[in-house]
Order: sequence, then structure tokens, then C-alpha cells
Amino acid sequence: MEIILLLITLLIAGVLSFFAKKTKHSGLITLWGQILAAFFALLLCFKITAAGPVTLLNFFYADALSAFFLFLISISAVSSAFYSKWYFKDEENTGFYNALFNLFVFSMYLVVTVNNLGMLWVSVEITTLASAFLVGYRNNKTSVEAAWKYIIICSVGITLALFGIILLSYTATADAGIKSLNWTELNAGKNILNPMVVKAAFIFIVVGFGTKAGLAPMHNWLPDAHSQAPSPISALLSGVLLKASIYAIIRFLIIAAGSVGFSFCGNILGLFGLISLGIAAFFILVQKDLKRLLAYSSVEHIGLISVGFYFGGKIGIFGALFHSLNHAMAKGLMFFSSGNIIKKYGTNNINQIKGALETVPLAATAAFIGMFALAGMPPFSIFMSEFAILMSGFKGGYYYSASAVLLFLAITFGALIYQFGGMLYGKKPANLEKTKEPLDIAVFFGVIIVVMLIFGLHLPEFVNTIISNAVDVVMGAGS
Amino acid sequence: MEMMLYGVLVVALMMTIVKRFSALVTAFAVQSFLLFLLIFIEAVKSGSIQLYVVAGLILIMKVIAIPAFLGRIVKKIKTSEELGLFVNTALSILIAVALVGISYYFIGNFLPSMEKESKTALVISLSVTLIGAFIMILRMKALAQVVGLLIMENGIFLAGASITDGVPFFVEMAVSFDVFVAVIILGVFVYRINSLFTHIDADKLNELKG
Repeated sequence: MEIILLLITLLIAGVLSFFAKKTKHSGLITLWGQILAAFFALLLCFKITAAGPVTLLNFFYADALSAFFLFLISISAVSSAFYSKWYFKDEENTGFYNALFNLFVFSMYLVVTVNNLGMLWVSVEITTLASAFLVGYRNNKTSVEAAWKYIIICSVGITLALFGIILLSYTATADAGIKSLNWTELNAGKNILNPMVVKAAFIFIVVGFGTKAGLAPMHNWLPDAHSQAPSPISALLSGVLLKASIYAIIRFLIIAAGSVGFSFCGNILGLFGLISLGIAAFFILVQKDLKRLLAYSSVEHIGLISVGFYFGGKIGIFGALFHSLNHAMAKGLMFFSSGNIIKKYGTNNINQIKGALETVPLAATAAFIGMFALAGMPPFSIFMSEFAILMSGFKGGYYYSASAVLLFLAITFGALIYQFGGMLYGKKPANLEKTKEPLDIAVFFGVIIVVMLIFGLHLPEFVNTIISNAVDVVMGAGS
Repeated sequence: MEMMLYGVLVVALMMTIVKRFSALVTAFAVQSFLLFLLIFIEAVKSGSIQLYVVAGLILIMKVIAIPAFLGRIVKKIKTSEELGLFVNTALSILIAVALVGISYYFIGNFLPSMEKESKTALVISLSVTLIGAFIMILRMKALAQVVGLLIMENGIFLAGASITDGVPFFVEMAVSFDVFVAVIILGVFVYRINSLFTHIDADKLNELKG
């Protein structure tokens, strides 16, 4: 029931915000729509945690893994909606933007609640279609170029994933006699699937959804799309869109692992993860564009999440899921605060942004703290999840890979401090005056920072349970 | 049935040597029509209403609506019909044949236990998918990329129709709808690219890098 309410709320918010005449009203409708949707999502989380998986009409299925992703989406969506209302306050005709914002979030909630793997594919494709115009929203040369690459590359990727799904469906009918593509049924019969076909299918699926998740070397669309989209959308893309694709990969991983063993699936993810970490570290070091830098940082963190699945074990998977959540929060904060800095300077170019602490002190302070959180400095929560992933790597005997991860993380740490140091300190341009920043944005930044600190120092029992239950689903103990 | 499958492959190979956009769209319509026949024959054999609906959808959308829509765009933006080949036709067909070989090798190696008929269908559908990707990469015009994507989707559709007992009906519907929406959105962006850049050469969309 909550699922229906959740989805209907978002659709209604989308329609209302489209017809709202004033920018302020449109933004408010989106914000309250997202808050209400998040409320239903959390309600669903509690229900699943207390009473197990929820099914509805043989179409929706939400277990503990879905619950974790519902939690993640709801946090990111509400914060992005809040920031988006502020970010667009001086612009007109935002109805179209807000409607697509709601539709985009709708499609991501849909990804994590459908049962049928074909519908899962369709939902992931809807996320691309809904966000294409958001990426190209500015309608100038660079943003249209970014949007074009985004749809084309992601559609090709997802088409390959569909081929994988069809292979899986073939072995399901031929070897296991399962007529439907429902995840629950495939999961129940995963032991009798043909391992060779499953292997081929899983490769296609990882390459396909991996494109959408931003795994290197299929990540080419990501820096373009992230840098050209308006900042609230960049945060959504980074925070949840990439994770929604990771969710899709995990769903298939559970089935494939039951058929061909966890290590085969883990190795593939580990390979892509390590390539992503390496490429991202290099591009962060030499980056000249602030938002592209943050985009490459997303490639790095997605890489780290897949490496978490490669190292595996309870701790590794816990780390990977926990890291998804932490990255969404830290990257959200970074895109929001950088959005303010970019608004002030009117450029994304790192060399032209100097002395931000003097001109936009609040946003710059938030970016300063967010940078350390993102780089994995204790006591912020990213440190904890990175630590968990690395620990499972060393414990599992993956010495070379874990050392490589450590090296890449160290390079990124240094690169982030180097890049942001130049932007935050230094001499401010003479023509820029200090801006007075509103209190609500300061509180907003503060809340995100405090939550990251709390999650880093002591993970609340509720969140811990949600993640642990999701880990059980991935390990095959739950469901 | 076999005839139709090979027909789909032959049309796909022909697509790699055409130089004009209208020829590419016509070839796509022909290929989609062959898919329609495949499904239609299947529908007559089994008498399943769902298959009739799927066949009808293909006929309306892929054989009629999408080619018409693409043709309209070309007329409206008054661009030249040239596709802009990065590699000449002789090399293109060689690469395409190599792709068929790769598909044959991949399917043979990974799925040795499959029956011969399914195997043929799967090799052809994978080849068509790869040829679609090839057209997307090695043709300059943005519109050629749209058709390349559609060809890839045709390949996937063929796989779904021939090796499984049919992907569930509502999934089939949803996928078709998705493709349709994607083509329309891409069409809108072609207009935007044309008005902002005054050309639709996808290879010149290279301002963003690094």
C-alpha cells in the first residue's frame, strides 16, 4: 500500500508543480511532495524491517535490500528538493523542471520496488529519459552535447543489459521451467539455471548497468552530464541515479552468485572497480573544472563500492552499501556548496575560483568540511565505510588489490586537498564582494555535516539494522 | 522462419554500406517489417492474441511511425542526406562480417549446449546488435546514431522473440513504449543540436573533455 501512495504522491507532485505559475510555488510543491514521498518510503522501510518483504499485485516486491535503497533515495531526494527550491528561486518557468524532477525521483523509487526484472530494466531506462532534459536544461551548446552523450551512451549500455536479461530468461525457461521474469521466482530457482548462460548474461548485465552506474571505462557520459546539469540534479545523479544502477546489478548478482558462485561475479565487479579508482584518481589530479572534479570523484566512489563487493564477505558488502549512503550525503553536500560557489563566481573553472572563503564564507566552509568528509577523513562516515571495505580486503587475502585501493585513495585525498585549497584560499578577485548567505541554507549544510558525523561516530541502531538486513539479502541468508 | 532470420541479417549488413540517411531508414523499416512477419507467423501458428498485439505494435511503431518521424526531422532541418562515413563502405562491410564472426564464436563458446535453431537466432541477433553499435560509432550524423540504437534494439528484440518463450507480455509493451519515447526525446535533441550548432555532426560535439 505504501508503495502505491509513494508513487502516486510523486506523480501528483509532478503534475501540480508543472502547472504552478510561480517559481516559489512550484518549488514548494516539489519539496513537500518529496517530503511526503520520503515519509511513505520510511514507513515502508519500517514495515519491511519489522515484518519482512512486501509484495503487491505480483508486480511490486520490496525486501530489505529495497528498504535500504528506499532510505537512501528518500534522503537524497528531500535534500536535493530543498536545495533546488533555493537554487532556482530567481528563475522563471521552472514548472517543466520541477515536473521532471518529480518524475525522475519517481522512476528511481520504481527501480527499487518492482519485482519483474524486465520492468526493472524499463524503470532504469525511464530514469535516463526523465533526466535527459534535466541534464540539457540550460539548453546551450555544452549542456545539449552532454545530454546527447548521456542518452546515447546510457541507452547503448542498457540495451546490452537487456541482452543479458534475455539470456537469463532463456536459461530460466529452458533449464528451470520458470516462465516469468519475476526476481522472486528466479531467485528461488537460481540453483538449477545453466551456469554457462548465467555467466554470459552476468557479463552483459554488469557492462550494461555498469555504464549507467558510471563504472570505468564506460563512464564517459558521467563527467559531461554531472558538470552540465544544474547543481541539484548533479547531486541526484551522483547520489542516487548511480546507486539505482548498482541496485540493479546487485539484484542480478544475487541470482548469478547462486548459480555460478560469488567469486566469479565479484571478480568482474572488482576489475571494473579497480579501473574506475585508477582512472578517477588521475583525472581528479589534473582536473580544471570544479563540477567535473566532483563527477570523477563519483566514479572513484562507485569503483570503491564495486570493489567492496569484490572483497565480499559480510564486512565488505556492509561497507559497500554503507558507502553508497555516505557517498550520497557527502557528494550532495559538495554539489550544493559548490553550486553556491559557482553561482557566485559564474564559472566552473578551478583556476578562476580563488578565495572562496572570503566571498561566500558559508558555502566555502561547507565545501571545506565536505571535502574532508569526501576524502575519507575520520570521524566522518565515509572513513568508516572505506575502512570496512579495506579491512575485508586485507582479511580476505586480497593484498595487492587492497593495497592498490589504498594507493588510489591516498592520491585522491591529496588531489582533493590540493584542488580545493587553491579555490578556498588564495586572493579573491577584486570585483567580488562578500555575499550574505541566508540562514536556512546554513542550517541545511549544518544538518548534513552533523548527520555524517553521527553516522561516522556511532551508527544509529535503525540504520545499522536496515543495512545489516540488506547484507543478509545479498548473502542469500535473508529473503 | 530461417529465411526471415537470414533476411534480417542481410538487411543489417546492407545498412553498413548505405551512404544516405533515407536509405538507412528504409533499410530499418524493411528489417522491422521482417521482424513483424516473424512474429505474425508465430501468432498465426499459436493463435495467441498477445503475439498479434506485439506484431501490430511493431508494424505501427517501427515500420510506420518511427521511420516517418525520422524522415520528417530530416526534411525540417534541411540537412544534407549524407551519413558521413568514418570508414569507407568496403571496410565497413568487412568489419560487419567480422562482427558476425565474433558473435558466432562468442555464442559457440559460451553456450555450447543450446539447440541449433536457437543458436542461429542468437548469433544473428547478437550480430545485428553489434552492427547497430558499429553504425552508432562509425557514422558522423547524430541521426545515424538514433537509427543505430534502433537497430541494436531490433537485434535484442529478435533474441527475445526467438530464444525465450517470449518475454512477458507487459514487459514487451513497456520496452516498446520506452524505445518510442527515447526516439522522440532524441529527435527533440537533434532539433536542439541543429539550432545551436547549425549542423548535426555528432563527431563535432567535442567541447567537453578531460
